[in-house]
Amino acid sequence: MESAPEQKSLASTIGPLRESGRQVTSLLTNQQLARLEQLRLAASRRFTNRSRGEHQARRSGSSTDFNDYRDYSPGDDIRHVDWNIFARLHRPYIKLYLEEEQMHVVLLVDASSSMIFEQKLLRAKQLAAAFGVMSLMGGEPVSAAVFNQAKGRISRLRPHTGRGSMRQLFAFLEQIEGGGDGPLEAGIDALLREHRGRGVIVIVSDFLTTGDLKRAHNLLFSRGLEVFGIQILSPTEIDPEMTGDIRMVDCETTQALDVSAAGDLVNIYHEYRLAYQRNLEQLCQQRSGRFVSIGSNDPLDNVLFDLLRRRGWVR
Amino acid sequence: MTWLGFSAIGAAFLFFLIAPLVAFYFLKLKRPRLEIPSLILWRQVLNDHRVNSPFQRFKRNLLLLLQLLILVCLILAAMQPFWRSNDTDTRSLPILIDRSASMAALTERDGPTRFDLAKEHATSLIDALGTKDKLSLIAFGRTARQFTGFTNNKRVLHEALDKIKIEHAASDLTDALRMVEAMTRTAKFDQVLLLSDGNFPAQVNFKLPFSIDFRKLPAAGPNLGITAISAQRAGGNVWEVFVKVQGTEGVNFPARLELRQDGQPRGEEDIFLQNDREQRLIFSIGADQQTSLELRLTVDGFDSLGADNQAFLELSPLRPLRVHVSKSLLSYQHALRAHEQVDWNREGGVPAPGAFDLAITDVAIPPLNQPPTTLHVGMVPEDIQNLITVTKDSTAFVAWRRDSPLLEHIELGDVDSIDQLQWNEGVREQDLENHHYEVLAHGRHGPLILQKREGGKVAFFLLFHPDRSLLPYTVGFPIMTANLVTIAMKQADILEIRGDRAEVLPAMSLLPGNTYTIRGPRGFQREDNADADGVLSGVPAPWVGQYTVTRDDDVKKRVGVSLLRSQESSLAAFDRIDFEELSVTAGATSVKLNRPLWPLLTTIGLIVLLGEWWLFQRRPGKHV
Repeated sequence: MESAPEQKSLASTIGPLRESGRQVTSLLTNQQLARLEQLRLAASRRFTNRSRGEHQARRSGSSTDFNDYRDYSPGDDIRHVDWNIFARLHRPYIKLYLEEEQMHVVLLVDASSSMIFEQKLLRAKQLAAAFGVMSLMGGEPVSAAVFNQAKGRISRLRPHTGRGSMRQLFAFLEQIEGGGDGPLEAGIDALLREHRGRGVIVIVSDFLTTGDLKRAHNLLFSRGLEVFGIQILSPTEIDPEMTGDIRMVDCETTQALDVSAAGDLVNIYHEYRLAYQRNLEQLCQQRSGRFVSIGSNDPLDNVLFDLLRRRGWVR
Repeated sequence: MTWLGFSAIGAAFLFFLIAPLVAFYFLKLKRPRLEIPSLILWRQVLNDHRVNSPFQRFKRNLLLLLQLLILVCLILAAMQPFWRSNDTDTRSLPILIDRSASMAALTERDGPTRFDLAKEHATSLIDALGTKDKLSLIAFGRTARQFTGFTNNKRVLHEALDKIKIEHAASDLTDALRMVEAMTRTAKFDQVLLLSDGNFPAQVNFKLPFSIDFRKLPAAGPNLGITAISAQRAGGNVWEVFVKVQGTEGVNFPARLELRQDGQPRGEEDIFLQNDREQRLIFSIGADQQTSLELRLTVDGFDSLGADNQAFLELSPLRPLRVHVSKSLLSYQHALRAHEQVDWNREGGVPAPGAFDLAITDVAIPPLNQPPTTLHVGMVPEDIQNLITVTKDSTAFVAWRRDSPLLEHIELGDVDSIDQLQWNEGVREQDLENHHYEVLAHGRHGPLILQKREGGKVAFFLLFHPDRSLLPYTVGFPIMTANLVTIAMKQADILEIRGDRAEVLPAMSLLPGNTYTIRGPRGFQREDNADADGVLSGVPAPWVGQYTVTRDDDVKKRVGVSLLRSQESSLAAFDRIDFEELSVTAGATSVKLNRPLWPLLTTIGLIVLLGEWWLFQRRPGKHV
């Protein structure tokens, strides 16, 4: 891990790099970065931490944003008495302000073997980078985890704050390589064993797992993490074109499945795919989360600046 | 199973191929691998009840069932099954194809000819031929000709069928049946297929040793044609040309007859058929020299037969008959004086070659010096002198051929001769016929008048001398002389000429022993040699048109031949043929050949293959 002075010097280089026309990261263009800096995550439940931050908490605090009034109690700081109301009503009222607290943003990237197909992993890294940029620019602590190894082990980037941490985040995401055959819920378990803090978890995966995702979602919810689930499917998965008798081989497990007259089964496959997506969406929504499914070939700009804005994920 | 047979039952061992087919199918050696991100959704799909429904299970193995079906079809086809049509596996069938002129008639405007339809029928039979069936193709027109023996080689049969061409001649069914009857000695068959339009005599004098399947071809359209053309000497140097045009029912279109002389238009006549559906026309043609006439019939309507729209006639120059008479034959000299168109002289010795049309002589003439017509008087030909003896006993005529042109209208019963001709011991009339002599008149003990035709020449022999008989003193003598003159004038083509028919070219006098090339319509060409007498004869002329006889590219003769058969032009068709013991009606029975089933099986196999390809290789529909 890099030292604090190095972070500062790196953070200071992003601006000049972008101005010089050189790409800051291979994952996003400088233009996309500039647009992302203007966006913020719009979490619905606002799981926040006690530490001060830029994210407004529901309770009263010390920000400059007015929240409410309450009766004066002895011992209250008289600097917070609203003297104008006192002049009119002859009773002291204390003016309350919103508390600004930090919201931990966790980026979980599924880099298992199934994500290697047809640029799915690249699109996952791009989306994770985009959410990371939006969160860092919002002053939230951002941590990242990659799930690409067997037996549910993960690689983590510890929480970073501030725009100066972008390089570390980009470097972490860029070096992700696909592989591994562990189920997604095992990765979530491994993440929660090390994670501390409430906020938002952005899971970028194809969600094609045989495990119990309901339990994983319950765990996330109980730990105060609002799930932003992004399913990335390849064009082959969205609209398979196959005919005749074929032997399908799972790239993760290398298990084979013989399918006869595959052309006749495509319509049934579509039914199951859509039902699976509805189930995932329901799992997220029942726990105040969100879910969206995109194709790995969908234009990134459309996803970031159109789809997610229309869905209310960012503002 | 008597209704189904197999020509190659040994191919049944191919059924063992089913085992490796099933083995390969279940081993799925050819199933392509497709790596996908996850099998989760596909496992759910395969567990769906719709995929596991009985129909879907069947459908999953449908590929195997279709492959088995294709294999079984191919194996059965290799076993060459056939639908048995009779009790025997082997069937031989002669096919008689009528190729006479009437078969060239069109059934409808721009439609096929009846000959085309006959060949189509034969083609379909050849195509459906089983391996144990055999066909023999026989075409008959003027004569019958066997194009193939009994064979099941379809290529040979098709090639032979292509070689069968129409002939502009009448059909001789009897000749064809005789040929088929001769074939029964080498092959066993009990039925003959006859493909004809029925344009032949309804009565056939033939005892059928087999049954006939008479397939009558469709009726033709209306026809108008020239059915007769001849020329008669009209006195002086004028020929009168008689033409007869006949039409069938339905001829109601205008027509014109054009006469051309040596290629130049000479006249035209409109054709108006009378109640008997014919019209006779007469043209007068002056002929100082050899001239060729051509008649063309032009119709403005659907005329189904074109072969009879053209006719030819070769006219000889008109001149007196040139007669050589021996000095000693005063009675004949006297009789000839009454004939105007006769230019005769009396000379001793033998006539010069080609100088005379008729010779009346009492001395032997070498063959080369003989004119076309000769009357030998008072002599027995040298080649039959050992058969007949001349004695000085008197004799009288006891029988004579009244239908002979020489003896027409003559009574010889009161003619006596002191020259008696007598058969030698053991000699019979048959022995004379072996020497090509025909007896025209018999005496008490032997022949008195003989006739011999050889090489286009005719010779008569009065074996007795008229001067030693009562013949010159009878009324019959000048009549006989007149008959002789008429015969000689016909032989010399200066009295009457009939149009030649398209069968065989008329005999032509050319240089002896030379080879000539004969060319005719439709690319006809052949070479023939003139015989020792310079006569070229027996040249076939299968089609109507002009034939040229050339030697070294020098045209020696031109001969036009025509159809000139009212039977053919009438397109008359009989539905029934009366043979000696039974009658055959058109279409009463049908030929039953063993019907091969392998084309059906291979077609089913191909259809199943295409269905399998469509079912399993079609692209799936896009999901919406």
